Amino acid sequence: MIELIHLTKSFKKPVRKPGIIGMFTSLFSRKYTVTTAVNDISFKINDGEIVGYIGANGAGKSTTIKMMCGILNPTSGKVLLNGVEPYKKRREIAKSVGVVFGQKTQLWWDIPLIESFVVLKEMYQISDQDYEERMEFLKSTLGISEFLHQPVRTLSLGQRMRADLAAAWLHNPSILFLDEPTIGLDVLVKEKIRQAIKTMNNKYHTTVILTTHDMEDIENLCSRIILIEKGGIIYDGSLKDIKHKFGDAKTISVPYFGDYDITSLDDFNQKVKYELKDEHLLIKFNAGQVPLENIVNYVFHHLHTQDFVISDINIEDIVKEILAKEENHEKI
Amino acid sequence: MGHYIKLYFLCIKRSIIAKLEYKKDTLIALFSFVIANLCSILSIYFLVNSIPALSENGNNWSIYQIGFLYGFSMIPVGIDHLFSDEFWLVAYRRVRNGTLDPVFLRPAPIMFQIFAETFQPEGFGELIVGTAMLILCGFNTSINWSFPLIFMLIVASIFGAIIITSLKIIFSGLAFVFKTSGPLLQVVYNFISYTKYPIGIYPYFLRAMLIFIFPFGIIISYPIQTLFFGNVYSWLNPWTLSLIIVVVAILFFFIAIVSWSLCVKKYESTGS
Repeated sequence: MIELIHLTKSFKKPVRKPGIIGMFTSLFSRKYTVTTAVNDISFKINDGEIVGYIGANGAGKSTTIKMMCGILNPTSGKVLLNGVEPYKKRREIAKSVGVVFGQKTQLWWDIPLIESFVVLKEMYQISDQDYEERMEFLKSTLGISEFLHQPVRTLSLGQRMRADLAAAWLHNPSILFLDEPTIGLDVLVKEKIRQAIKTMNNKYHTTVILTTHDMEDIENLCSRIILIEKGGIIYDGSLKDIKHKFGDAKTISVPYFGDYDITSLDDFNQKVKYELKDEHLLIKFNAGQVPLENIVNYVFHHLHTQDFVISDINIEDIVKEILAKEENHEKI
Repeated sequence: MGHYIKLYFLCIKRSIIAKLEYKKDTLIALFSFVIANLCSILSIYFLVNSIPALSENGNNWSIYQIGFLYGFSMIPVGIDHLFSDEFWLVAYRRVRNGTLDPVFLRPAPIMFQIFAETFQPEGFGELIVGTAMLILCGFNTSINWSFPLIFMLIVASIFGAIIITSLKIIFSGLAFVFKTSGPLLQVVYNFISYTKYPIGIYPYFLRAMLIFIFPFGIIISYPIQTLFFGNVYSWLNPWTLSLIIVVVAILFFFIAIVSWSLCVKKYESTGS
């Protein structure tokens, strides 16, 4: 079980004026600015859950993950992984935790992948039998056998990410932290990685905490999401609930050159909003209130076009809406 | 313990495989090392030849004796170079750009993992050149070899390497506090090169630094001076000097471990 209790992390940075003179004056100045990356976060995650930890860039996701896996010490509050504070008992907790940072590889850069695995096997004291079994599993779910003997620096991003996931899971951790595991990947690799995460969760009961900007990752994997913004939690609950509020919000985008009448969109009882942007007409509506079919029909029959794009609301928009509602003191 | 020995050798194997990935790079490094050392040996040769006698405190050093000193100074440096090269990267880069993160995630001590990250065969270069100079110059100068003297040189080589490694650990550990400590470590490390010449030629202040602060004088200058000209002080015979070297090495290693473990807590990783 993972438990965060009033977790806070702030960084002290010296105040620095721009330019060379500013650089020298800052050498002798004792002024600091304190930025709080994670501000009083508390939550509990049970064994076997897959939780999406979501927020905009700079919201504090990575900092929280780094504290949860023991790299960073919190400024105040604490993290408990199965009752142990990871940054205090780093070596003990390392055996039950696996981490993937999508932005950086943790594999040894210059050597063939298989050699990294051999070192990790000894590092985590994995028995021969377990090693064989898990390698089979990784080969079949992630398809790593095709590049197992290549040096890591020659792998493509998709191969490297699969290799990183495999390396993070090799010691069968009970908790897996994935920081943007699908960043920059194509649809097929994304699908493979999602499938692997699901299987690890089903078959080995691995608890997964996942940060991502990809709405599909969340829909495919997460039963629960925690939304953070500016270091604080703004939503913690099931995906279903938040979709009910925002997830059915859709946008239809139609190329618009000022040649058709759009005021008739007001016929949908103000439930449909529209705006013009970059020569496109954006029709925004909630599919829970107005059936998608009706709008599509409208586009076909009134706008006489088949050239349109339907897109779901993305996570940044949800964050924006929640923040806007908070400002208006509405309850989410 | 057996686990860590096995793990260490696996990591070393990994490091050598990585080195072999860049064969040309390793060859160029070896080549430039040979050139650099030939140049400095030549410069010593010209220097000593152009000065009628290099004398300090009444001792007259011959060219071969200085060559012997130069060769011996490379032995502890070479041993240290083999095992602790990764600390340079910690000092210069790895803290600043956050690439130490994986090390923090694995279930082995951080210092152990950094030792195990790189085995640097370039250290053999120093050991080979150093030994060659010891042999060449040793045959051309009269030394009354005795067991205490040989014992002292072996102790000075091994425990001298431990002192150098400890200083490396201490000053590269400061990178956790200051984000980078490479230049600082470089300054400390460069003090070793003073010991390539007899310590008596330096002003008092520098001599004191080489004895009491960065004790390279104790591990290189004093043993060789004892070898050629007898005890530096009447009480400082090969046995007491060996004992002092061992005690200082243990003390430095202890300080290194304590300061490292304090500094490691300050690691902040990077934003992304």
